[in-house]
Amino acid sequence: MENTKLDLDNYRSLLKEYLLTKNETALYQAEQFSKLSMQHNISPEEIIHVHIEALKELYPDLTQEVNDSLNFLLEAMISYGLAYQEFQTLREKQSELQSEISVAASMQQTLLSTVKPEIKGLDIGAISVPANQMSGDYYHFVTDKEDDTLGIAIADVIGKGIPAALAMSMIKYSMDSFPENQRNPSAILENLNRVVERNVDPSMFITMFYGLYNPGNETFSYASAGHEPGFYYHGDQDEFEEIEARGLVLGATDQATYRQFERKIKKNDCIILLTDGVTECRIGDRFIERDEILQVIKKYIQLPAQEAVEQVYKHFERLQEFQFRDDFTLIIIRKEV
Amino acid sequence: MDFKPCVNIRKEWDIVGARQLGREKAKEIGFGTVDQARIATAISELARNIYLYAGTGKICFEIVDDFEHKGLQIIAVDEGPGIRDISQVMEDGYTTSGGLGAGLPGVKRLMDHFDIISEVGEGTEIRASKWVR
Amino acid sequence: MNINLDVEVVEEDQTITLTLRGEIDAYTAPKLKDALLPLTKKPGAEVIVDLEQINYMDSTGLGVFISALKSTKEYDSELKLIQLQDRVRRLFEITSLDSIITIESTVRGGN
Repeated sequence: MENTKLDLDNYRSLLKEYLLTKNETALYQAEQFSKLSMQHNISPEEIIHVHIEALKELYPDLTQEVNDSLNFLLEAMISYGLAYQEFQTLREKQSELQSEISVAASMQQTLLSTVKPEIKGLDIGAISVPANQMSGDYYHFVTDKEDDTLGIAIADVIGKGIPAALAMSMIKYSMDSFPENQRNPSAILENLNRVVERNVDPSMFITMFYGLYNPGNETFSYASAGHEPGFYYHGDQDEFEEIEARGLVLGATDQATYRQFERKIKKNDCIILLTDGVTECRIGDRFIERDEILQVIKKYIQLPAQEAVEQVYKHFERLQEFQFRDDFTLIIIRKEV
Repeated sequence: MDFKPCVNIRKEWDIVGARQLGREKAKEIGFGTVDQARIATAISELARNIYLYAGTGKICFEIVDDFEHKGLQIIAVDEGPGIRDISQVMEDGYTTSGGLGAGLPGVKRLMDHFDIISEVGEGTEIRASKWVR
Repeated sequence: MNINLDVEVVEEDQTITLTLRGEIDAYTAPKLKDALLPLTKKPGAEVIVDLEQINYMDSTGLGVFISALKSTKEYDSELKLIQLQDRVRRLFEITSLDSIITIESTVRGGN
């Protein structure tokens, strides 16, 4: 109230000045006044009240109609004032939530962080970018110092955002708890399927591709749980081949089994793994076809693997006007020798 | 206490009657124009709630004048379905009608003191007071 | 995102046909779920979902069909999807859901 009194004097003199001079300076000061009022949570009806009071002082003979109409205006502004106050509270709440989500997101990043391994003879590139703060995509590398094998998991939880991120963290923990010696792609998927089926909402499911590379015999064994098919790149022919590995998504039934496939990897060939955030790219109403994705990958495949995945990402980021609708994950593994 | 002036709320236009009576009381006690307008708006919200969710009820007024305060208490009473989750109803952004600024959080903002008692299946009593400064 | 989903339900004895029109994504999937799930809870019902006019569906849509399938097992009803567009069919194939959900395999020719 004390404040308003002070402001009333100020407002009165501003109003007086304006009525006399009609100059822009007074209007500019009025703007400053309204900003200051907002900072002090002064609601619009109070400003109108101040205006009425100031006017009455300056023109004591105000007609009844003008007086009444100003009171009418004051009544009409009450709800605006309320809405503004509520808006302020919601804005504060929003920024609280925002910072909570940032904390959760960085926790998730720590939880799911994976070290891109340095493996002799392999050039590995990986990129994963969430559409929102938290990701429902996941990739993970597992190395074994004894036999030099490399395990690669790439997964996509249905949906995105926080629910997807929570489910992903669960997957990560179950994978960590599997015994060390259990590295068979089909067995891993079968175990995970049971975990997902038991623990998540019936409409939630996860797709995953799991591969294991054994440098001893240059063989890549893999199995897929309904994951977007990856590609095998034949370096000598500069051609792509879809990696076929049918398998049911994780979490649909409790007794899914997964067929395991194997193939030899030749020098200069690549394994390309991705999530449907890559294939579900939309430009306006049009979808990007898988062939177009291959053309883009082809353009950059000669680059070092990490540079290649980053360039492909940048390409699609630009195409979608820097607004991805889904999490985007791409891995390229090249056999160098 | 038994002689509190009340307005029955049965149809939408009764809201106007409640506002009018409330404003007269507020003027009598010595509230300024801004506070009169705020009190009237609070009455609207309370009466509208009765009209929308309970069907019928009443809005009563009590003049408060003790050592501590001088002011007006609005008492909104209905025998409607009651409010299951009061915290949720009092939360900003939770409105079933009316949008930003409406509903009970708005009443709480407009007034100096606010209290709800509600039993599911029995009804709701809301008391909201404003003090003359 | 402003594209909607229309759901039309026709019940004939135990056969319930759901005709969908539009897109199934994170925004419209709840609508589909609300319409589809209660129908699968009628023992003996055969729920047929006509997807001819669905030109886009994302994984959220698959999730709805998975939960509907689980529900048919629980309540002893049946679920069948018909007239899938190629793009939608591909989703069921990649995820191998076509191995557990009955999907009419022939695409209707002519009109």
